[in-house]
Amino acid sequence: MINAVEVKNITKRFPGVTANDRINLEIKRGEIHAIVGENGAGKSTLMKILSGLYQPDEGEIYIFGKKAVISSPVKAIEMKIGMVHQHFMLIPRFTVLENIILGSEIRAGISIDNKKAKKIVEDLCSMYNFSINLDSRVENISIGQAQRVEILKVLFRGADILVLDEPTAVLAPQEVKELFLNLRRLKQEGKTIVFISHKLDEVLDIADRITVLRRGRVVGSAVPGEITKEQLARMMVGKPVLIDLKKRETDPGEVLLSVKNLRVKDPGGKSVLNGISFEVKGGEIFGIAGIEGNGQKELAEAIIGLVNIDSGSIKIRNIDIKGLSVNQIRKMKVAYIPEDRHKNGLVLPMKVWENEIMGFQRDDKFYKKPLLKLKSAQDFTRSKIREYSISVSSINQAVEDLSGGNQQKVILARELSENPDVIIASQPTRGLDIGATEFVHEQLLKKRDEGKAILLISADLEEVLALSDRVGVMYNGSIIAEFKPGEITLEDVGIYMLGGPEKKVSGE
Amino acid sequence: MNNRFKIILLRLLSPIFAIFLAALISSLVIVFIHQNPLKVFVTMFSFSFRRIDSIAIILYNATPLIFSGLAVSVGFRMNLFNIGVEGQYLMGAFLAALVGFSIKGLPAFIHLPLTILSAIVAGALWSFLPIYLKVKKGVHEVISTIMLNYISFSVIHYFIADLLMDKSQKMLNGLGSPLVRMPKLMPTALMPRMREFLNMFGFNIPKHVYLNWFFPLGILLAIGIYYMLMRTPFGFELRAVGHNPDAARTSGIKPEKVYFMGFILSGAIAGLVGLSDLLGYFGYMDLDFPRNYGFNGIAVALMGQNSPIGIILSAILFGFLNRGAEGVQTFLNVPMDTVIILQALMIISIVIITKVMNDYIKRMEKREVSKNASGRTAGVQL
Ligand SMILES: Nc1ncnc2c1ncn2[C@@H]1O[C@H](COP(=O)(O)OP(=O)(O)OP(=O)(O)O)[C@@H](O)[C@H]1O
Ligand SMILES: [Mg+2]
Repeated sequence: MINAVEVKNITKRFPGVTANDRINLEIKRGEIHAIVGENGAGKSTLMKILSGLYQPDEGEIYIFGKKAVISSPVKAIEMKIGMVHQHFMLIPRFTVLENIILGSEIRAGISIDNKKAKKIVEDLCSMYNFSINLDSRVENISIGQAQRVEILKVLFRGADILVLDEPTAVLAPQEVKELFLNLRRLKQEGKTIVFISHKLDEVLDIADRITVLRRGRVVGSAVPGEITKEQLARMMVGKPVLIDLKKRETDPGEVLLSVKNLRVKDPGGKSVLNGISFEVKGGEIFGIAGIEGNGQKELAEAIIGLVNIDSGSIKIRNIDIKGLSVNQIRKMKVAYIPEDRHKNGLVLPMKVWENEIMGFQRDDKFYKKPLLKLKSAQDFTRSKIREYSISVSSINQAVEDLSGGNQQKVILARELSENPDVIIASQPTRGLDIGATEFVHEQLLKKRDEGKAILLISADLEEVLALSDRVGVMYNGSIIAEFKPGEITLEDVGIYMLGGPEKKVSGE
Repeated sequence: MNNRFKIILLRLLSPIFAIFLAALISSLVIVFIHQNPLKVFVTMFSFSFRRIDSIAIILYNATPLIFSGLAVSVGFRMNLFNIGVEGQYLMGAFLAALVGFSIKGLPAFIHLPLTILSAIVAGALWSFLPIYLKVKKGVHEVISTIMLNYISFSVIHYFIADLLMDKSQKMLNGLGSPLVRMPKLMPTALMPRMREFLNMFGFNIPKHVYLNWFFPLGILLAIGIYYMLMRTPFGFELRAVGHNPDAARTSGIKPEKVYFMGFILSGAIAGLVGLSDLLGYFGYMDLDFPRNYGFNGIAVALMGQNSPIGIILSAILFGFLNRGAEGVQTFLNVPMDTVIILQALMIISIVIITKVMNDYIKRMEKREVSKNASGRTAGVQL
């Protein structure tokens, strides 16, 4: 059978690093091929080469047996390769249909033939079992649906090879299931799928074949069923990985974070938090489970002072934070790991060391009137890079040139560095490899054991259940259930996440 | 040829190449007006560089543009577009003229700094309203600064032609009409020229050269701005807000505060733009006080890519274009309007060509560095 993609000796170098080092790879037509590897292993780079965003320095690519020079994304789609971007590139005010056809409209004379386009998209949807309302505005749809729109976009353009970079990182478990149904269906219809994921269970679940990258090289490939998760992890890292959290019993101390009857409205006046109450004590991790977009973001932003409180109160160590600035709240030893690292976590064009001290640039540690202490800042950054094993070629590199996982580590290192008492962690391990995820989990548990209060917001249910002492499920701006991990089944949690019967199973 | 060498060469040649191409384009216009392009350019160069005094005049021409380029660039760094430098510098010059003529009996070492300070204050005040409206009401700064430019023209007209007009001008035998200007500034408010200082080093600068101490001041300011941007927390915050206000806010920076202070700073620098002319040349303010430095500052900042060194160099290039144009006008009898068109054409092509070239060099550099990094693999390398 002819290979959909064949990559021969591809090498791609960036300043100070060889991101892809003589990569050889064969992807069969009609298979789901997973690429796994640690943060910075070169996965995204390889995908970007396939989709025409980067040019390889050396090596050759064959698409359906023909030698190909993929000089741009347009060229890639001509060759039937479509990239589904991790950061969705959709226009919120447009409808789903408009977003799908944008840029490749079907023309009828000088006007756009929307009817015909709609027919085509509808056919695509029914063919691949995509359930989505083509007329709803993108600003009103969920993240899982937005991803479907992205996939439909490339299908509409005639892609036969779909490239997905960490498609499941932003999805709730239920949404992952749906995505996988879609992918299997696409495969049945003869499409070839290449995707990246850090979640090995998923990879073992859906992939036909797995290629493992380490430090820019292919270090092996595997077929699910012939390999265990542990073996796969070991292949990625090069040494055995312990996927086993040790959670000690602790005695929660005094309440460090208390939220009472919190109501928040969005700029349009729509209520997004409808009277939320909970407390987090020192030495405790309070987890928030739920599908993204149910008010989690607003909750986190209200606590750090980014959005205005409509009514109710938030207290840090019994001090009401109403009216305080973000800076004042941060100075009360509150740390915040935002869910969207590109929008809120980093200033992408600035240097790694500058991002590492962002927010602390006026602390005595880094500032001696009138100048920044360059050396302190850079030494600090170097020590964080070592502590968090952040892979960079220089601390003067723009942070946008780091791999996704390493960008996340830059934020984590910064936010956990000042010994915070209250930690708001939104999706703290999104995009991290298993080793780094493990490390962050350990850090969070360590902070908990040290008596800090942690609010953990995550779409990854397993993560929430593994780390939290208590879990609340958020739905539609309210916490509709609260329990201790182990008290109820995974299925029940799933029901709550979808808005199940309101019931309080308090553990206190 | 070695690639790295090629990059360095390109770097150095890029502006020259840009100027050359721009010259080529303007040649078309020159041919169109029935002149010999070669002759025009030879005149420009020979007129500009033959004598030391001509070079000093170029630097004098560059002086206001250094200030206005810096003022605009501070805005650009925050992702704000201060089109209002024009109005801000006119107000600065006006207040300086007022302080310069109305306060009497002060020693120069107090009067001159006071005059300069009043220009800074006026520029800062004139930038206050647009940034206040921007931060509090979301009014776009481009709209409000353009409006304020018009207002400043009118205000100055009113004051110069009406309230503060110098009525004491003596007419010879009642002939002619008095100039529409404000009274002359006290000598204590004027900026000394650099002539005597330069002559100490053997340069022979004649009297008609008005190069004054604002030129070195402009260069010092450029260095200061550089340090402010790259080394102080405020500059750090300014750049962060300019690139990503959301992330800046999340880290505890108040973008509104940064916009406010940065814009006022831009206005304060703008206040200085007209002073080299006012305090180093005219000695009074009239209705014909030089205009357009603010707008040219936008081109200077673009061409200098917001870097202080780049701004100094492109200001000097503009100074040369002005000087050369004078030569062309005088010796080749080309009408003034044509010279202005020619100048504008050169400026536009230079701005565009440098941008294209710089992007090209950047891409080449990336490729080059990556080639030399072969063999090393991903991992921590400090
Ligand atoms: N545009 C760029 N400029 C410089 N270096 C880059 C650039 N893009 C990637 N790199 C470097 O190349 C290496 C591989 O990056 P890549 O994004 O492919 O990793 P990845 O496997 O996708 O990692 P992650 O799991 O963290 O997303 C990293 O060391 C990264 O810093
Ligand atoms: Mg990646």
